[in-house]
Amino acid sequence: MTRWLGPLLVLVVSALVAHWATLSLAPGVIMDRALSALEDRGVAMHAFTAPQRITPKSQQVVRSSPDLFYSLCRYDLEDPDDRLSVTMAQWPDYQSLSFFDAETNNFLTSRGTGRSIAIEIAAPDAASQEVTKSPTQRGVVLIRRLAPTQELFNAAKAASAGDACELLTR
Amino acid sequence: MAKRVAVYCFAAITGIALGLASAIYMAGLWPGTKPLDFGDVEVDGWRSDFAIGSEAANPYTRARVARHGLLALAKTEAVYFTRDTDDRGEPLREDCTYRLSVGKMPADWWSVTLYDADSMLPMNDDEALSVNLGQDNVARIGDETVGYGLSAVVSPERPDGRDLWISSRGAPTFDLMLRLYVPSEDLLERPEAVLTPPTIERMSCDGEAA
Repeated sequence: MTRWLGPLLVLVVSALVAHWATLSLAPGVIMDRALSALEDRGVAMHAFTAPQRITPKSQQVVRSSPDLFYSLCRYDLEDPDDRLSVTMAQWPDYQSLSFFDAETNNFLTSRGTGRSIAIEIAAPDAASQEVTKSPTQRGVVLIRRLAPTQELFNAAKAASAGDACELLTR
Repeated sequence: MAKRVAVYCFAAITGIALGLASAIYMAGLWPGTKPLDFGDVEVDGWRSDFAIGSEAANPYTRARVARHGLLALAKTEAVYFTRDTDDRGEPLREDCTYRLSVGKMPADWWSVTLYDADSMLPMNDDEALSVNLGQDNVARIGDETVGYGLSAVVSPERPDGRDLWISSRGAPTFDLMLRLYVPSEDLLERPEAVLTPPTIERMSCDGEAA
């Protein structure tokens, strides 16, 4: 009987380690795949990219809303002194600016109904305490604008000409 | 000796497989799982997961949110409720016609969108994927029989008359997702007390009266 204790212990420890590792790594793996998919679809690095209006034929992500205008910007703050400067142009209806890190966490969101918003974020290892730091080097910025009709979608797209997502190196 | 090593290797591989599978299952990462399978809020059959969009401390919730709520907004900006049955508790089907009724929602803006069993918009060109608060304002001006709220038909064929429509064509089974943008604080604190969710009345199936 005692000769099975060793293998049984190995089995239990292996299961616990694999269980914990899977849970810990899952968000990062899921976001890494998402960032790669965005790159494959032409979402630019350090610039906003406005995809097509969401339709059954253009949908790429589960449960996309056909009532929203989405604009995406990938970022990579490689150097501790790097900053990302983001501007969301004015839009008369609901709009929001959301920042997601490489672990899928929504670490910063700002609502901008009827007004423009400008935000800077810093690299995770930045010395400055003045601005919000991205928890991870890479991530994605997402603008949502309420635009439930084709006419409003076109207007939102025109408004997006004033959006900016720019890497500031120092 | 070789047999002993083989036993240990088998134990390690089995342990890893068990740990991996159990984590995937418990975190809702198993292929085919849907947001409806989880959630911490339920109001009259409409389920929501208020952890979506937040930085959850629980590793199971974090993994689940990464899988089912990727790039979703924090609940202070938007909450999402989903329902895949009618008011009788029967699954929503393409071969039935339903009456969706939406009253006053505790949010600045709302929409109801239809998704198929794969959580995708149904593959049709009817341009009737959702209804929303704005349509209510536009469609009901001058209609003395309707107060605040919206009524829409959910069916595979465009209804006669002025009814608003959500097309279920191309979705053998489906669910409806209610999005509430800028929800009230009351809703986030006491959803069961504050939300009167939309009703989904089955009108007919396969040409038979319900």
